[in-house]
Amino acid sequence: MKALKRSQTSSSSNSPSPSPSSNSSSTATATATSTAASSSSWIHLRSVLFVVASSSPAYCASSDRGHLKSPWSHRKRKHVLSPLRWRSFFAPDGKLRNGGVKFLKKVRSGGVDPSIRAEVWPFLLGVYELDSSKKERDAVRKKNRKEYVMLRRKCCQLLRHNSETFKMKVTGGIGNNGDSGNLMEGMDFPDYEDVSALESPSSGDRSPFVEDSDSHSNLMLDEFSSSKRAMEPNDVSDSESSDSDSSVDHDVNHSFLSIRSMYDTAELHSKVDSSPSETEVQKQPCNAEDFATWQRIIRVDAVRANEEWIAYSTPQAGVVSDGRARCSAEAVGLKDYDHLEPSRIFHAARLVAILEAYALYDPEIGYCQGMSDLLSPIITVMTEDHEAFWCFVGFMRKARHNFRLDEVGIRRQLNIISKIIKHKDSHLYRHLEKLQAEDCFFVYRMVVVLFRRELTFEQTLCLWEVMWADQVAIRAGIGKSAWSRIRQRAPPTDDLLLYAIAASVLQRRKQITEKYSSMDEILRECNNMAGHLDVWKLLDDAHDLVVTLHDKI
Amino acid sequence: MGAYRADDDYDYLFKVVLIGDSGVGKSNLLSRFSRNEFSLESKSTIGVEFATRSIHVEDKVVKAQIWDTAGQERYRAITSAYYRGAVGALLVYDVTRHVTFENVERWLKELRDHTDSNIVIMLVGNKADLRHLRAVSTEDAKAFAEKESTFFMETSALESMNVENAFTEVLTQIYRVVSKKALEAGDDPAALPKGQTINVGSKDDVSAVKKVGCCSS
Repeated sequence: MKALKRSQTSSSSNSPSPSPSSNSSSTATATATSTAASSSSWIHLRSVLFVVASSSPAYCASSDRGHLKSPWSHRKRKHVLSPLRWRSFFAPDGKLRNGGVKFLKKVRSGGVDPSIRAEVWPFLLGVYELDSSKKERDAVRKKNRKEYVMLRRKCCQLLRHNSETFKMKVTGGIGNNGDSGNLMEGMDFPDYEDVSALESPSSGDRSPFVEDSDSHSNLMLDEFSSSKRAMEPNDVSDSESSDSDSSVDHDVNHSFLSIRSMYDTAELHSKVDSSPSETEVQKQPCNAEDFATWQRIIRVDAVRANEEWIAYSTPQAGVVSDGRARCSAEAVGLKDYDHLEPSRIFHAARLVAILEAYALYDPEIGYCQGMSDLLSPIITVMTEDHEAFWCFVGFMRKARHNFRLDEVGIRRQLNIISKIIKHKDSHLYRHLEKLQAEDCFFVYRMVVVLFRRELTFEQTLCLWEVMWADQVAIRAGIGKSAWSRIRQRAPPTDDLLLYAIAASVLQRRKQITEKYSSMDEILRECNNMAGHLDVWKLLDDAHDLVVTLHDKI
Repeated sequence: MGAYRADDDYDYLFKVVLIGDSGVGKSNLLSRFSRNEFSLESKSTIGVEFATRSIHVEDKVVKAQIWDTAGQERYRAITSAYYRGAVGALLVYDVTRHVTFENVERWLKELRDHTDSNIVIMLVGNKADLRHLRAVSTEDAKAFAEKESTFFMETSALESMNVENAFTEVLTQIYRVVSKKALEAGDDPAALPKGQTINVGSKDDVSAVKKVGCCSS
């Protein structure tokens, strides 16, 4: 087997040492560069001053990034939202008291206790409204679950369709379309009517309905078309503006788009089948990525997701039998996983299922590398696939702009970071200008995957929770006045992440201005931040920046 | 280009880009070459990353600055910006996935649109250790490389097969182009004034840099 063989060889990777002709070796990800001596001592000094990798000692042991501790981290972090406190926020009817203001304030200052994340996140990610009752949430959950199952069913149909297309092409002698073919080759694909295979493999209670998928889709189409809103593609890009409060409308549009696109995609595929010339035409546009491409890249990324998250997954999710893992992998047509542990196979299969469903749900974005980085923590926290999916949808409501083909979202954010630096530190900004680096492209990765590559797993979740709390406060229209009475001086902002990224650069101003004389070096510094960031210090600095600059940016 | 450190002892600095579809093994080729490391779990590259390593070519020390780019189409707008100034490219496909070989043509076009015509290109068929899963024959790839006048090599980052050779070959070829250019310009390449920039082509990107003297940086 491919994967087996590769893992065997890698475990004994006593590969030949570099050739004798090499006289030095350095990399951007290791510190062994020309500046090794100076930078390592600087890093040491920095660690003494304020570097910490993990804010909670319980997580330090399992983190490969953070073993440095800062005396500040505990002082800076306020108390997390505890299970007891969380329950106390609810009135008897199951509504959050006070419109959720206290709840958000609490999350904003200290994050959420790991044991209640699965309950809290749907609120933070807009799956449930802050003022919803228990009954309303149950209804939403039921509806969401149904819609997710339908999306999965469609994915399976497309996968099977591609596989058949491939077989036809092979027998017809055309066959070098390895794209969809490789995906399905030698795979015994389960029937899509088998709901248990489509649903969250972790589901305890199975969905009772098994319907004809077409009539089901029509039903949904009717639901959407009967809503008065016309579909406005512009609306989607509008949501980027920070005062967006029409999230529900966006959802409707998304769903509408998605249903439409399902048919379009299916139609496209049948066109491709019918005529070889159509295939040529379809290959023409350079930027076109189709569902089959997304399916392939999703699988490539799913099996290489690293295992950082394992220590944080709930006990029941952590232990997965080999049979169950393989079953879930086969249900989504995953291959090349033989080298993985059962729990990782299971994780990879869940990534595939949800990312594929998302690609159908939001075809304008589809799948873009980096999205699996954002989903992985959600899967770890949410044990049900349909819940994880809708949390991911909530997360992507804003983050999707990072993955747009036209890169408008990225450029807008880099521009804001540039402005923050310019206003805060003109000396640093002038230096960047001199190096033609004022566009801040060196923080590109931080923007795209929201610090996921630079922070440890636990740090990432804390940062995201604080960021989500700000965003949900804005969406819920909790304005400045409500916040001014509370201890945090900084008003909630939709762009907290950008302030945090700017803060991470500003923390390195001395290094950048005194030692770096090219954009490459700054890029390397930024790519090397992993393990050297204290998330609470970062958030403190970010909040300071918000206080002084939010009116100007 | 900025002043590189005096203690970083090299004669030439060449910028090389690694391109090709997602999951063909670009990052692992780079980590194998620059740190002699390989990981089955290397995450997708977001944007660009780079690493450097110096090797000897003839009697000179050549420092390669190798830029690793994201493979997905979507990231090409940003990654293509990093083609600027590249004097060499390794265009990687996966010998077990034919579609990655089919896409080589598009990558090649993009490379030629964004870089100088003198750029040294090597087509690299990676994952050659997976012999039983091979989907692209050596002959096909060789024929394609000949047609497109690129160099060609099959590698395995996992088994460390030909990785060293591939990079060394590209860097050596770049060195030859640079030396030839210098000769045509009437200079003895060994006697170039320190810090002089060698333009490999017509574009004025400073890509192949003869090192600045030790006291000038």
